Amino acid sequence: MAQPPVIRVPKPARSSYQPHRQLSKNTLILNQVKHFRELEKDLPLEDQSGLFEPLIGEGATEGQAAEYIRHVTKKLLRPAKKE
Amino acid sequence: MSAGLDALKHVVVLMMENRSFDHMLGVLHAENPRINGLTGNEANPDTNNEPAQVQPNAAFQGELDPDPDHHFPAVNKQLFFGTPGPPAVPSMKGFVQSYWDQEHNVKQSRKIMYYFAADKLPVLHTLARNYAVFNGWFASIPGPTVCNRAFAHYGTSFGQASLNIFYVLEPYKSIYERMLAAGRTTKLYYFDPASSTQEVVNLLKNQPQIFATYGQFLEDCKSGNLPDYSFVEPNYSDHPGEDGGELPASDQHPDHDVQQGEVFMASVYNAIRQNPDLWKSTALLVTYDEHGGIYDHVPPPSCTPDGFHANLADTGGMPFAFDRLGVRVPSILISPWIAKGTVVPGPEDAANGRAFEHASIPATITGHFIGAYEQRTVREKGAQTFLDLLTDTMRPDEDCPSFGLD
Repeated sequence: MAQPPVIRVPKPARSSYQPHRQLSKNTLILNQVKHFRELEKDLPLEDQSGLFEPLIGEGATEGQAAEYIRHVTKKLLRPAKKE
Repeated sequence: MSAGLDALKHVVVLMMENRSFDHMLGVLHAENPRINGLTGNEANPDTNNEPAQVQPNAAFQGELDPDPDHHFPAVNKQLFFGTPGPPAVPSMKGFVQSYWDQEHNVKQSRKIMYYFAADKLPVLHTLARNYAVFNGWFASIPGPTVCNRAFAHYGTSFGQASLNIFYVLEPYKSIYERMLAAGRTTKLYYFDPASSTQEVVNLLKNQPQIFATYGQFLEDCKSGNLPDYSFVEPNYSDHPGEDGGELPASDQHPDHDVQQGEVFMASVYNAIRQNPDLWKSTALLVTYDEHGGIYDHVPPPSCTPDGFHANLADTGGMPFAFDRLGVRVPSILISPWIAKGTVVPGPEDAANGRAFEHASIPATITGHFIGAYEQRTVREKGAQTFLDLLTDTMRPDEDCPSFGLD
């Protein structure tokens, strides 16, 4: 029986991974961070990360932004506490 | 109803980031003239008034840095350079000049005309050759990501033409809320919590049950538990995994590596392709949110307004009533029920051309899974839908490629 054609997909270069890229270079993630800050403000104080302020200054990185987004997403999506 | 539509149980949409049609697929015109790509003669004037011609020199990474401006005022220049502006027909002559505005670097500005050579994108080009390419799929707004993605989720951006946060206005509901209310199943799969969603984030807060990770998508494909409608988001950032390791961005947003996006696209396709029951009952749409400031030669057409008006602060003071589309983006509809080499005509075909945009997504999903539904924008109600591309003939397995990932 004939087999479907398999197209090989080249592996990208290891150097393409740049978590230390300046956040200011990607306005999409920068704005995503700002959107998540709006949601974080509504979380209980004990759930707030304290990670936001450094992200809007110079020198913040894409990896740092991802860490912040990870924190807020997890807090938002955790199962609701039973009363 | 076609046999393909009769067999359809699932629709999956994968939305990538910031690449134009000509940049990604323009080269395919040479092998299939029905694809409205590049002849090789297209050019924009640079700031020395020298023609900057399209060149097959696009690189995976490191070329479009800085990120080309694609906010409303910049896109307006890209579209209308040398004309009085709307409602004139876009000249498509201002891409180089717009990119020059960022660094005043003539050499760099000419790179906005670069496109990918044949087979440099084995995944996207294979999908285009094997399934249905849309010659006329446009971004919903001549502007940036968030407002364009909103059209895929809501059929409107609620008057937003920028990256700013915005809030949903009654009576409009997201396609996910509509699906759940109709007793259907749906998920919005984001890559992981550190990448999360570019969806309007209030949905993340108020409808957490619709979200799941990409890992869950792979599980759901394998176990045959894919919902009726799925929307998949790529990884938007380079970041470490929960347990260490490197998770490179796969969204193809400049300056992220385009090859990483190819790997991700192949992974989504394979997950469906490798489950025989899923493969014959699923349609996968691969599309891009907007052009990212990169050259395309097709003037975007006008469209049905959605009843909103943009904030002048976001448009450089230009009134905008959401009555014309953004720049053309790559879009491919994939299913074994689609004839190999299908090309859906766009504006180049005055008699049969169709103009799709991201409001076509909720329009199609609503029409197929829900049926009559009034509480949506006039814009969405008038949007083209795409499931008529499914035919009566299912292609044999050996005629449909798969991808080999290391």
